Amino acid sequence: MKLSFLLLLLTASLIAAAALPAAAHHSFAAFDITSQKMVTGTVRQVDWTNPHIWLWIDVPNDKGGSDTYGFEGMSPNFLARRGWTRTTLKTGDKITVSYRPMKDGSNGGMFMTGQMTNGKVLSMMGGSDTPER
Amino acid sequence: MNVMNTANKFRFEIVVFVLVFGALGMTARAQQFVSKAPTAADWAALAKLPDFNGVWERAGVGGGGNAAFGTAAPAAPRGNQPPAGNRGAAPQRGGRGDGAAAATAGGQGGAPSFTPQYEAMRAAADRAPQPEDNSTANCLPPGMPGIMTQPYPMEFLMTPGKVTIIIEAYTQVRHIYTDGRPLPEDPDPKFFGASIGRWEGDTLVAETVGFNDHVQLARGVPHSDKMKIVERFKLTDPDTMSIETTITDPGVLTAPYTTTGTLRRHRNWTISEYICEENNRNYVDQTGKAGINLTVPGAPKKD
Repeated sequence: MKLSFLLLLLTASLIAAAALPAAAHHSFAAFDITSQKMVTGTVRQVDWTNPHIWLWIDVPNDKGGSDTYGFEGMSPNFLARRGWTRTTLKTGDKITVSYRPMKDGSNGGMFMTGQMTNGKVLSMMGGSDTPER
Repeated sequence: MNVMNTANKFRFEIVVFVLVFGALGMTARAQQFVSKAPTAADWAALAKLPDFNGVWERAGVGGGGNAAFGTAAPAAPRGNQPPAGNRGAAPQRGGRGDGAAAATAGGQGGAPSFTPQYEAMRAAADRAPQPEDNSTANCLPPGMPGIMTQPYPMEFLMTPGKVTIIIEAYTQVRHIYTDGRPLPEDPDPKFFGASIGRWEGDTLVAETVGFNDHVQLARGVPHSDKMKIVERFKLTDPDTMSIETTITDPGVLTAPYTTTGTLRRHRNWTISEYICEENNRNYVDQTGKAGINLTVPGAPKKD
């Protein structure tokens, strides 16, 4: 578990060092690309849609309820060619998302990587850590 | 009843007016090129040309099961995107706002060189507050040549008299007529312009004119109606295509501006749809301020 966490951090920093995923259709102006946050929650909904997929997760808050966070990913077209399918993430999945936060402090941001409870790390670029489907 | 009759008569006169002037308009355009039905010989001739058919993506988009996880991303986050405010076309690599341009797939290149008047516009745009995004955020497509450098595949189709490029990004299509027709003399301005092509040996040479105002040569720098793009498509190995893209615009550019790029053929890929308005949560407003709509889908959940 600790190793996985380190792997996640390493992965995230590699991505940060290399580049941000090509977004194709808009700028990163709304995101704070100089910082990275992590949050753990349960998948509420996956929008497998163009021009970007959106991942909505419910994150427990300190009031005993939960807040919904929205994360923008690449397009389904891009991801489908890199190992993802529309069911790679499903409602009810537990996930820890590493993301570039919204500059305005809203709950959400740009999806960088996601770690599943089985230790698998999902990346927007696909690659060896994307689950085989 | 009389009122109705008068109204109907008036409507009839309008219809006659439209028909007559519509016919005059048709006459004025009578020189339009008419495609002829392809013959067996036309198809046979096509088979002798280099085979560009299939799905291609520019080199260097990254990802895709690459073992070098996390390192295969494009060199620039907004690689090959038009600069901010340069909504259509301008060849740009290296992210918004830097004014440097490179027109084609995977292309490298310095900035185009502008005549003094246009260089002043470029410099002024550089000094002005930078828009946070361009109108692709609102789902307008990039025009030429930016549409050719998206991180999405394109399918080339060769048929007698035409090369068609189906571009996945924004679900766009380019039509390059190779049937001998001339370039239009006074084309309507378009995102992609009007294209004709000819074969020089193994190279398809496409010429394109007639760009709209979304097409800019750099952020804040318009083009003239003399702007022309010449693309030279050539196979460099069975599944690799080079594209040399040259932009000329006398009076605006001091010299032809050329970049090169590379496409790779993916025999196992098909083109998908990309309906940008399907779930576009990004936007940029008139002032250049960009944002994201983070409204949670469905009923708001409050605990």
